[in-house]
Amino acid sequence: MGNSRHTTKNSFWVKGGFIDYQSVFLTFVIVLFGLMMVYSASSYRAIRSGYPGTYFMTRQAVFAVVGFIGMYIISRINYRYLSNLSVILIYIAIAMLVFVLILGRASHGATRWIQIGPLQLQPSEIAKPIIIIYMADACVKRSKYLNTIAGIFKLIFLPIICIGLIAVENLSTAIVCFAIVVAILFVASPKLFNLMILGAIGVGAAAILAFGVGYRSDRFDAWLHPETSESGFQTMQSLYAIGSGGFFGRGLGNSIQKLGFLPESHNDMIFSVICEELGLFGALVVIALFIMLIFRFKFIADGSVDSFGGFIITGVITHIAVQLIVNIGVVTNTIPPTGVTLPFISYGGTSLVFMLAEIGLVLSVSRQMRLTE
Amino acid sequence: MCMNVFTHHNKLRLLQFFVIAMLLVSVMITRLFYIMVIKSYEYGSAAVVIQERERSIKAPRGTLYDRNGVVIAGNKAVCSISVIHSQVTDEERVIKELSERLSMDEAEVRKKVQKVSSREKIKSNVDKSVADDIRSLNLAGVMIDDDYKRYYPYSSLASKVIGFTGADNQGIVGIEVEYDDVLMGINGSINTLTDARGVEIEGAAEQRVEPIPGNNLVLTLDVNIQMYIEQAAKKVMEEKNAKRVCIIVMNPQNGEIYGMADVPEYNLNEPFTYNKDDIPADEVTQDDLNNMWRNFCINDTYEPGSTFKIVTATSAFEEGVVSIDDTFYCPGYKLVGDRRIKCHKTVGHGAETFKDGIMNSCNPVFMEVGARVGADNFYKNMEKLGLFEKTGVDLPGEAGSIFHKLENVGEVELATMSFGQSFQITPLQLMRAVSAVVNGGTLVTPHFGKYITDNNNNIISELQYEKKEGVIKTETSETMKYLLEAVISEGTGKNAYLPGYSIGGKTATSEKLPRSSNKYISSFIGFSPAENPTVLTLILIDEPEGVYYGGTIAAPVVGDVYSNILPYLGIEKEDIE
Repeated sequence: MGNSRHTTKNSFWVKGGFIDYQSVFLTFVIVLFGLMMVYSASSYRAIRSGYPGTYFMTRQAVFAVVGFIGMYIISRINYRYLSNLSVILIYIAIAMLVFVLILGRASHGATRWIQIGPLQLQPSEIAKPIIIIYMADACVKRSKYLNTIAGIFKLIFLPIICIGLIAVENLSTAIVCFAIVVAILFVASPKLFNLMILGAIGVGAAAILAFGVGYRSDRFDAWLHPETSESGFQTMQSLYAIGSGGFFGRGLGNSIQKLGFLPESHNDMIFSVICEELGLFGALVVIALFIMLIFRFKFIADGSVDSFGGFIITGVITHIAVQLIVNIGVVTNTIPPTGVTLPFISYGGTSLVFMLAEIGLVLSVSRQMRLTE
Repeated sequence: MCMNVFTHHNKLRLLQFFVIAMLLVSVMITRLFYIMVIKSYEYGSAAVVIQERERSIKAPRGTLYDRNGVVIAGNKAVCSISVIHSQVTDEERVIKELSERLSMDEAEVRKKVQKVSSREKIKSNVDKSVADDIRSLNLAGVMIDDDYKRYYPYSSLASKVIGFTGADNQGIVGIEVEYDDVLMGINGSINTLTDARGVEIEGAAEQRVEPIPGNNLVLTLDVNIQMYIEQAAKKVMEEKNAKRVCIIVMNPQNGEIYGMADVPEYNLNEPFTYNKDDIPADEVTQDDLNNMWRNFCINDTYEPGSTFKIVTATSAFEEGVVSIDDTFYCPGYKLVGDRRIKCHKTVGHGAETFKDGIMNSCNPVFMEVGARVGADNFYKNMEKLGLFEKTGVDLPGEAGSIFHKLENVGEVELATMSFGQSFQITPLQLMRAVSAVVNGGTLVTPHFGKYITDNNNNIISELQYEKKEGVIKTETSETMKYLLEAVISEGTGKNAYLPGYSIGGKTATSEKLPRSSNKYISSFIGFSPAENPTVLTLILIDEPEGVYYGGTIAAPVVGDVYSNILPYLGIEKEDIE
């Protein structure tokens, strides 16, 4: 039944197998499209800062190359081998998150980065795939825990510590991570009741964090009254950009809002630039690409030889889908503003590299999937 | 392996999760549709408001023409130079080049360049050649906009009438402010898209609203007559070392003013440069400039003196209390109440008719006539001749007359008023009253504006002015013309006599207040042709030195002016014995 002739269960490297070229192709298309939009959205800022217009795009392209190499290597690794590493990985993630917090406190400012030579690493981005692996592994190895609330709390103890550490500086990433945890539990657990309690606790915690911390409740004001709120400036600029796009947009490269009006135009707000330049049509094409990719991943998950692979893919799907929805939700002012990047497209090296690494995991699962037809 | 399969249950859950995600994506797509299709216009236009910058295109101001189409005030293409702070890259170079080329103080330019404002004007009315030089330097952040500067080809001609405009081309004094609404155009604009710093985006579509030029105004002034009276006024001012000389030339039939001089005039192209050297240049105050711009003919009042005897005589004929052959006796004074009021000829004119009295400008005769008319009737006739109201001339700041209240007029006041003292009127009010006397009794409105024309000099409207007919009887007018012609041909005004032309008129020598100062205003008012006057002229010589009699110094100026302008106006010489 399985493709076990290609590999043995415990070997580190896998060779051959089913490579889902559709996923690979879609990922390529989205990443290349992202490079194009980063160039369009950032060249003005690059030139104003005294760099060549291609500065940000080139940097992003380097990360894309690194990411694709990483994706290939990871796709060759037997993902099952990772189940042995999941506990170690999550301790590493916690250590990095603690380190970056201490570093931030020491320099009297919020920081999300670890500087290693010329490289800046964002531990919260690294934590996402680690949480996916840890949760997938935990749900397989300790599946009995899923039957009780106390068990579930034990199961998610370490990821919740991670999420708590992330939430201190970056609530939006914490929410994404929490969604990943919930989604994997949702797919893995036999009963829904326990999850609902967990979900209620999560929502409550998020609300306390959101309204309890000064600058975040400010964001709620910006959400409800963007025209008048002082911090609604960014939201209004985004709506201006999206609204002036119309159905077919101003044409690629012709955004005006990116010329200093729209903050973060190549980053969190890149979808606004896509809308302004390519219109509703372009926006729908982008969304369609993501849906196709997620749909492919679901197909691979359904065919995975074991639940570990299925849970991993569930986590990756959640990661991509939540960030896509939250990002569009923010730029369209459907939800309160929060800094979530658009997967594969927004400028940001760590995010792109680890996103591609997650694709690598999915492809690794696909190499061993059962092809029933 | 079988223990850890991705179960059917798991797949179902994943499918459920997938469906939930797709539902949320659909919400986002709906939201996008709402913003990008339904609200697209609203957000799009709100975006344009912040992205667009409006640059105005100046509308040219309407031209002023004289009655023959000669340009009196036109426009010269100039530029205004401003700096957009955020776009300046080389601040020091901008400061250096601008201060040098615009010959401005470096500290002043520095202050303006370094000021953090969206746009700071450095200098307006910059010569086009200088602006072109600056343009060729391609200084980042320096904006050069085309503009118009008012230009007066005759510099000082009719300066007090025309007035001038300010830095933004708005009228400040004179015709320029009176007709500001007509002359001012509507500025156009260019709307260009800019980035957040206000830098125009290359290749972005421009929205252009063309400026609408102002309408032109054709005046009743005649450049040649104006030049001639200014020359004549200047000549007599210099000869008599007078403070100022005013000459007004008007058509008494319709109130069209051909010329209005008030020398010294000032240079309209340099209106802030003082025109006399009695004050050091650095001590010239705003008051001095205001005085320089002041038009004595309408902005100030004076005691008209003997020229006002025309009004007294007219009132007497209107009331029928005198005829030209009535006889009087002048002993050189008249006792009025307990006062002894002298005649200018202290030895007296002896026995004389009323006609002799007006030819001699004899004060006792007019005091007697004034008494016969009485204060009530005198005031009634003065009111008919428009002396209690402003003339309605189309110039700003016209002064009103100052008279005793009727109930305060005793016999002394009545006596002095009869020969033009103890009240004040503007020169133009006298012109208007005398016009009615000599034109058969029509009270006209003196004016300068004739037509409003469009950009292609097509007449848009002919300006209309109020006319009051029959304010005095025709017979009175005829009698007055006859008497006033006699003043020129035989009386005190004979110095205005011009062979071949019939001229009527009246001289005056008014002593300025206080009487002890021995300062005078010599004046003469004259009209021609005497039977049907079409040219009425008033001259005032303010504080002449030496001989100060109006008949001696003012009348000949009008004779001289008439010798030139009567043939110019096509008034034929008559056969006069």
